[in-house]
Amino acid sequence: MLSAFISAFKTPDLRKKILFTLGIIAIYRLGATLPSPGVAYGNVQQCVEAMKTGDQSGVFTLLNLFSGGALMSLSVFALGIMPYITASIILQLLTVVIPRLEQLRKEGQAGQAKITQYTRYLTLGLAVLQSSAFIALARSGQLFNNMCNEFPIVPQTSLPDWVTVGMLVITMTAGTGVVMWLGELITDRGVGNGMSVLIFTSIAARLPSEGWQILDSQGVWGFVGVIALVLVVITLVVYIEQAQRRIPVQYAKRMVGRRMYGGTSTYIPLKVNQAGVIPVIFASSLLYLPQLALDFMRSDNPGKVYIFIEKYFATPTSWSYILTYGLLILFFTYFYVSITFNPTEVADNMKKYGGFVPGIRPGKPTADYLSFILSRITLPGALYLAIIAVLPNLFFIALDSQAYQNFPFGGTAVLIMVGVGLETVKQIESQLMQRSYEGFLR
Amino acid sequence: MAESNRRGDEDATEHVDDVFDDAVDDDATADDDSKTSRRGGTAVRERAKSEPTEKKVGIFGRIGRFFREVIGELRKVIWPTRNELLTYTAVVVVFVAIMLTIVSGLDYLYARGVLFVFGNPK
Repeated sequence: MLSAFISAFKTPDLRKKILFTLGIIAIYRLGATLPSPGVAYGNVQQCVEAMKTGDQSGVFTLLNLFSGGALMSLSVFALGIMPYITASIILQLLTVVIPRLEQLRKEGQAGQAKITQYTRYLTLGLAVLQSSAFIALARSGQLFNNMCNEFPIVPQTSLPDWVTVGMLVITMTAGTGVVMWLGELITDRGVGNGMSVLIFTSIAARLPSEGWQILDSQGVWGFVGVIALVLVVITLVVYIEQAQRRIPVQYAKRMVGRRMYGGTSTYIPLKVNQAGVIPVIFASSLLYLPQLALDFMRSDNPGKVYIFIEKYFATPTSWSYILTYGLLILFFTYFYVSITFNPTEVADNMKKYGGFVPGIRPGKPTADYLSFILSRITLPGALYLAIIAVLPNLFFIALDSQAYQNFPFGGTAVLIMVGVGLETVKQIESQLMQRSYEGFLR
Repeated sequence: MAESNRRGDEDATEHVDDVFDDAVDDDATADDDSKTSRRGGTAVRERAKSEPTEKKVGIFGRIGRFFREVIGELRKVIWPTRNELLTYTAVVVVFVAIMLTIVSGLDYLYARGVLFVFGNPK
């Protein structure tokens, strides 16, 4: 397997792609650590030190500072890829509702480009909203739970307030734009899907410090136990991601000129989880919206609506949150499968090249057959996604602890990591195969 | 069968259709003979058969049938072998470990840099 990694680096174009992706990741992390103008970094540092109660030292204090730190120090890329994801969900949902968008989608390449353009505009709009919410939060001291109001993150300067705030909003919005661009660059010229690679990176950035926290609070054996549990979950996720329903397809032999073509029997692989990790990402970022709304509505005397939302939709351990999360995942799995896999198109293509499913007529019956199987096989896939993603929340309820609110090895994070890992490795693999190297996956 | 028929024929497509019709007929007869046909086509025909009775079946009946069909499809799923599973898991773990190392290394360096530039003087 190691030799495969080496041969991946020996292939010139693949090496270029991998290094390009790593370069983008390096830029992304740089932006995530760089504080925005107007932020008193020294105060952030003192604040974190004041909050720190344990005796963690050296490397991990530093990492701790920067893990959730992108937000704490209001860094340039503090919003990350989140607004882009939210925007693309909104547009994909709207595609179903608004006829004009649907028309654009059917137009093919040009229409798709237009939709992407709309997504970008919407992303910037969302970024403005979100960054102003964060800045308001930071200025009121609530970002640190009012624990260090003596060290304001955004201190008063000789400049008027609106200049500072405006500057921050502009910087963070521009940062979001850059992150969006970086993601698209990875998709175009790097390895893997840009959006998922960047999410993967930000999860990977959080892991060491959170792992350290577990080691700190649970001791060595607790830590080993958590790692073992994570390995089990990873294996389970891989197991289901690899499961396929193979629909046999027979290609008729045909003469083209003087040569015979086709006559082979092959299959359409329908994965049990055809949608991948996208539904989880969508659902979790959609459930993030109530939290965002709360940040906006925050005041000294919260109203009924505020309390209602906070109690039922912003607390990950409440039953309504878990239920909503699960249902959203179910919905998005079906939704995403329906927009990525079009049975009619597949059936038409098969017919065009003289292929048929044994026992099913080509054309509409085949399309019906495909969608029949797809709708049946997606249910277990969707349930599996929902269960894995919700599992840690159930775990919290059982433990009744608030301390693991941001449990890093939770289902969502593991799903995203394994999903992105598999997807990326497979892409590298297929490029290796083109060069007839032996791949990772023998 | 298809091959021998078609050899030396000018119009292949016509024959393709013939073959296909044959296949359908075969399947249909096989279906009548035994309910436990292994062919992939059974599902649709079953549904087609039961469509007229669908209105009589209540909502619970339909849900029950849906779940039975789901389980039926799950039986046809090809699960990864033990060997495959271990390889893929190992690859994913190695990949995640490498990325983790790279990202935390970068973060550490950047943290040092940012502290040096913007941090409080010690």
